Parts: sequence; C-alpha cells; structure tokens
Amino acid sequence: MTSGSVRSDWEGVYLDGRTPARQPAQIRLMRGGLEVTTASGGTFWWPYGEIRQTQGFYEGEQVRLERGRDLTEALLVADPGFLASLHAIAPEPASRFHHPGRRARRVRLTALAAVAVLGIGAALYLWGIPAAARVVAARVPVSWEERLGRSIVEQLVPAGKACAEPARQRVIDDLVRTLTAPLPRLPYTFRVTVVNDATVNALAAPGGFIVLFRGLLERTRTPEELAGVLAHEIEHVLQRHATKALVQHVSTGLLFTAVTGDVSGVMAYGLESARVLGALRYSRAAEEEADAEGLQLLLAARVDPAGMIAFFEGMESQRAAAPAVLKYLSTHPATGDRLARLRQLARGGGQRPPVRLLEGYEWADIRRICG
Amino acid sequence: MADPDSSAAGRPSPFARKPPPPRDAASGGTASPPPLPPLPSSGSYRTDPSIVAPRRESRRLFFHGSGGSLFGIFIVNTLLTLVTLGLYYFWAKVRVRTYVLSQSEIEGDRFAYHGTGRELLLGFLKAIVFFAVPIVVLSFVRDVLDVWVGLKVLAGLLVYLLVVVFIPVATVGARRYRLSRSSWRGIRFSFRGRARDFVRIFVVGSAVSSVTFGLYYPFFDVQRYAFMAGQAWFGTRQFGFTGAGRDLFGPFLLALLLTPFTLGLVWFWYLARRRRYLWDHTTFGAARFRCAVTAAPLFRLLAGNLLLLVLTLGLGWPWAKVRTIRFAFRYLTLEGPLDLTAIQQDARAASATGEGLAGLLDAGGGFDLG
Repeated sequence: MTSGSVRSDWEGVYLDGRTPARQPAQIRLMRGGLEVTTASGGTFWWPYGEIRQTQGFYEGEQVRLERGRDLTEALLVADPGFLASLHAIAPEPASRFHHPGRRARRVRLTALAAVAVLGIGAALYLWGIPAAARVVAARVPVSWEERLGRSIVEQLVPAGKACAEPARQRVIDDLVRTLTAPLPRLPYTFRVTVVNDATVNALAAPGGFIVLFRGLLERTRTPEELAGVLAHEIEHVLQRHATKALVQHVSTGLLFTAVTGDVSGVMAYGLESARVLGALRYSRAAEEEADAEGLQLLLAARVDPAGMIAFFEGMESQRAAAPAVLKYLSTHPATGDRLARLRQLARGGGQRPPVRLLEGYEWADIRRICG
Repeated sequence: MADPDSSAAGRPSPFARKPPPPRDAASGGTASPPPLPPLPSSGSYRTDPSIVAPRRESRRLFFHGSGGSLFGIFIVNTLLTLVTLGLYYFWAKVRVRTYVLSQSEIEGDRFAYHGTGRELLLGFLKAIVFFAVPIVVLSFVRDVLDVWVGLKVLAGLLVYLLVVVFIPVATVGARRYRLSRSSWRGIRFSFRGRARDFVRIFVVGSAVSSVTFGLYYPFFDVQRYAFMAGQAWFGTRQFGFTGAGRDLFGPFLLALLLTPFTLGLVWFWYLARRRRYLWDHTTFGAARFRCAVTAAPLFRLLAGNLLLLVLTLGLGWPWAKVRTIRFAFRYLTLEGPLDLTAIQQDARAASATGEGLAGLLDAGGGFDLG
C-alpha cells in the first residue's frame, strides 16, 4: 500500500447514473470535498457530507463513492492509497470513510466476535433455550397438546393396529384411574392405546396419550409392573416433557437460522425435529424426573413400587438375551444407579402397606388384549 | 486492471485472456481516453465508434471475494443478530448481499447493491400484515372458534387461497426488490413482471403438474424461468428468453425413467442439462448467455458443499457460498456484441424512495423474505 505518500490528485472513473458509460475523471482531494473533472471537461463539487462510501472495505476492492439518492452518481478509484490520502488531507470529514489502516483492528474485533458467538450460542443452548422451553411449555393450552398428541398417536398407530378388546381395555383404564386418583387436579384425560406390535416399548405423547406396545405388555409379570410403566409415562405427560422437547427443538432451529442465516440448515434441523417427535425421545433429566415422580405416584396410590423396579431389572437382565427389549432400553436405560435411586426413593416413602392391584383377575389373561 | 485474487484462485483471470475491449482503455490508462461528450443524450453515444464493439466477444463474470472475508461478515452478523434478538437479521442480509455483489465483476466493473436493512424490515412487516396475520386469524376461525360450519369452510378456503397466492407473490416481490437494488456501472436492474401473471402461471402449473403426476413439471419450470428472466431489465434494455418447456421434456422423462437404475444420480445430469438450457436461451440485446456446466462438476459442487456444511456444523457456510458463486461464474459466458450505447437509466427503477404500495399484488418496492 502506498499510504506513505499523500497525494491530492487521483485518477478514477465517473459514472453519471444515466448511462453505463465510464468517464475517466480527475479527482482532487480538498478540505471540504472532492473536485471531480471528467475527461469531457465538466467539473463537479462533491462535499464530503453528501458522499457515501459503498465499496473499498477489503484488500483489492476498488473504492466506490456515491452521491445522490434517486439518480446516483458514482466515482470509482482503483488505487487503495486514495483512502489513506483522503484521511490525511481531510481527517475530520473523512472519519465517515473506511480507513485501510484499521483493517488489522477489524480482524481482531471479528475474532472477538467469533468467541462471543460461541459463548452466547453455548449459553443459549445449555441454559437459555431449556429455560425458555419450560416457561413456554407451561403456558401451552391442554387442548393444543391434545391435538398434537392425537396426531402423533395416529401417525404411530395406524388404524387397525390398535387392540381395543373392551373388557381388557377397561381393566387397563382402571389401572390408570387408580394411579391418578390421589392427584388433586387432573388437567388431562389419559387414553392408553395398545398396539399390536411385538416391539417392547411404551411412550407418552402430549395431552395424555399413552401408547403401549404388545411386546411390552407381554413382558409384565404382574399388574404392579405395568402400573410402574404407566406411572412413568403419566409423569412424562404431567411434566409436559414432550411439549418442552418440541419447543426446545423449534427454538434451537430458530437459533440455527439466526446463526447460519440460511434456510437449508433449518430444513435439516426440521427433519431431525420430526424424527424426535416420532420417537418421543426425552433427555436423561426428563427420564429421571419421570422415574422419581412416577414412583411418588405409585406410593400415593398405595401401589407396591417393587413392581416398577422389578420390571426395569427384568428388562436390563434380558438385554443380552432378548434384543427386542433394546428398543425400550434405548429410551429407558435401566442402569445400576437408576435402579439404586428408585430403591432409595421406594424405601423413603413406604409407611402405608400397599394394596394389591386387580385382585381376582388373572394377569396373564388381561395381557392378551391383542388376542 | 489489478486482479489480486486470481492467483489465489489458482487460475488466471478470465479477463486476462481476452484482448481488452475498447472502452476499457480508460481504466488501464495506457491508451488515450476516447473523447466523450458531456452529459449526453443517448443519440450522441450511438455514433461513438469506441463504444460499439464490432467483433464477436465472449465475456465472463469473475468473483473476487474470499470465504475468509465472508466468514468475518457472517460471524459479526451472527453476534449482532443474537444480541438484538434477531432484529439485525435484515441488516445482516444487506451486508452479505453488498459483499457478494461488490466482489462480482464483468467487463472490468463490479456490481453494486443498494438495498437497506430498513427496507427489508418493512417488507417483512408488510408480509406479516398481508399474509401471516390473516392466515392466523382465519385458521383460528376454522379450528378454534365455535361458529357456523359454513363460515369455517369459507375460512378454510381463504387460508388455502392465501397460502397458494403467497408463494408466487413473495417470489415476484423478492425478484423485484433484489433487481431494483442491484446496479452495474451505475445503471439499475429492474423486474417488471406483474405478480398476478405469476400467480396464474404458478396456480395453473401446480395444478396441471399434480394432475399429470409431475409430467408437466418441465413445462411449468421453464414457464417460471421464462417469466423471471424475460421480465428482467437492465436500465432500458430487457433481458429475453427464447426457450420452451417441450425441449426439456425429453431429458426430464429420461431422467425419470433412469432414476431407479442410477440411484437417482441421473438427476445431476438433468440439473446440469436444465441449467445449460435455461442460460443458453437467455439473451441480453444481441448478446446471449452460454453455460457449459456438466453433471460431474455439479455433483462435486453440491456434494462438497453438503459435506462442508455438515462437517463444520454450518459454520462453513461462507465457503460453500463462495464455492457456489465461483462455480456458476466459471461455466457462464456472455457471448456476442454487448452494445451498451442505447441503454439508459430507467427512472422508475432508479428511485429508491418513490415506490409506494401500488396495489397489494404489485407492491411497488416488492418485499424480500429470502
């Protein structure tokens, strides 16, 4: 860069804003403005206050100065030394123009911005968005959750795959009623759908929809075991975990848009979001909350929590032998410390003797709701 | 003309290959500048021999920008967008567009972008008022309110209508806005197609495409492109498009038939074919665009970009963008005489302030959500 020598006379090109003709021009830097003389002999006076710089901020980019709104005239100067001379000759008015000497500082500031973006992004992702999701999810009307939940269940359970043998269905519904009876206020109507599918899984959609797969039902040995699974899923609904997860995903997608400024990233994320919605996969914290609250639910309903613990243990011990249980374990990992935590909670709350569930029923018969 | 980026790009500037056109002599300063009249009428230029290029020429676009500079813009934009809770988004868009156009050059001159964040914000608000608010209100009537069924059906139909109309109107609005805020050598581009014509093309095209199980798609596709390209202007000169959908029907059908046997890769061939066809039939005065893109490089570009974005969690976006632009410019030439003498600024296009809300469908300034 030839910033060492200050010159007042420069060669450039003048565009009159009416025709695409480039007119060679002599530009003289003065204290209050530019004196522009075109090759054809016309002379214009451009006061600095009326000039905007629109190009010339990067290495190798010509300087472009514009004047006028509706019919914009422009001056192009290819020599990057022009700006340095402009700042030397008219420091005060030139402060509105880019100074090439400050590019190094701009690079440092950009690096600083990158660090700040990483920091803010991480903070939003780790705390900001989960906090916002909690606030928003708590204010989503139950009727919206129900509509969403119904559409998810319709998508997961195609018509004809649901097992709805009325007598047995009533027994399962009674189980849910027993579990939720001690709750003071119940905003949701719980609806359990049993799917004729050998997969070992159970899940909760927003709005009180619980889906039980036949495979799981057949692996429960007592009604208490099923009650444990149901209590866990009921708490997912009551704690609005699905709604929170959904809000969190949408917000993260928005954050993604803000960061990349690009729609394709959001589309990729939207696909991810749809997958999460389909699989209803919750965070570990949500699973632990559903465990702990579900166990409290069992205790409040005077259901023996040993059934819940026994079911999780049974799942874990079958991990190697029966690959079918992996589906359930992938969302409900029955790890050692999870079981230990459950046992501890069960010890803490067992003052009243548990009642026996479904006395007089043959559980192996109830389980055969799918025929 | 100094060209610092050409060595970095690993190939000589395309401008270095061709003999300098006569009217570029002024910038080089080697030849004596041609005598130019003062502020002229176009008539005086028409007789100026130095402006009319007499022989067959081939011109290329060249991109001077770098992924690094764009990344700097991108990261600062991101910070400001986060800090302003998204409001800076519109100004961020302007900064990226300004950079991209300012780094794009043809015939020794760079393009310029004149849009402002304020205009983009206003356009966004306009779209909210005319589309988002009515759609939300009508959806509420349709799904939530307890009213007469006929009213619900009507609301449902209106929602559908608004959504169907919105896509083409937004497309035309964006095109109109972007072109009117772009210039080269001080002359603005503009778009003069009417939104209602595009709505018709869009609605009819979508309907016929679905009725014919997608077989009509190439016709629809070319119609849309013809509208977008053929209604574009540079100053007082219109771009032209001479293609027709039937020319792409054969390749489209072939791609469709070969899809199962090629795992879908045949579509890269079709995309390249389509791009060549559309550019090759786009004209500007006596000059004509030529596009030489082929399937393999197009595949490498798109697969590379995807990989770049995935591996960097989206942070590689500026480099992907630069790759895409350089790619487009590499295969594109403008051939034939580029007679600029008759072109003048179009006063309507040049005005940034004189545009109002000229009817809902043809909103003067257009709006841009892209």
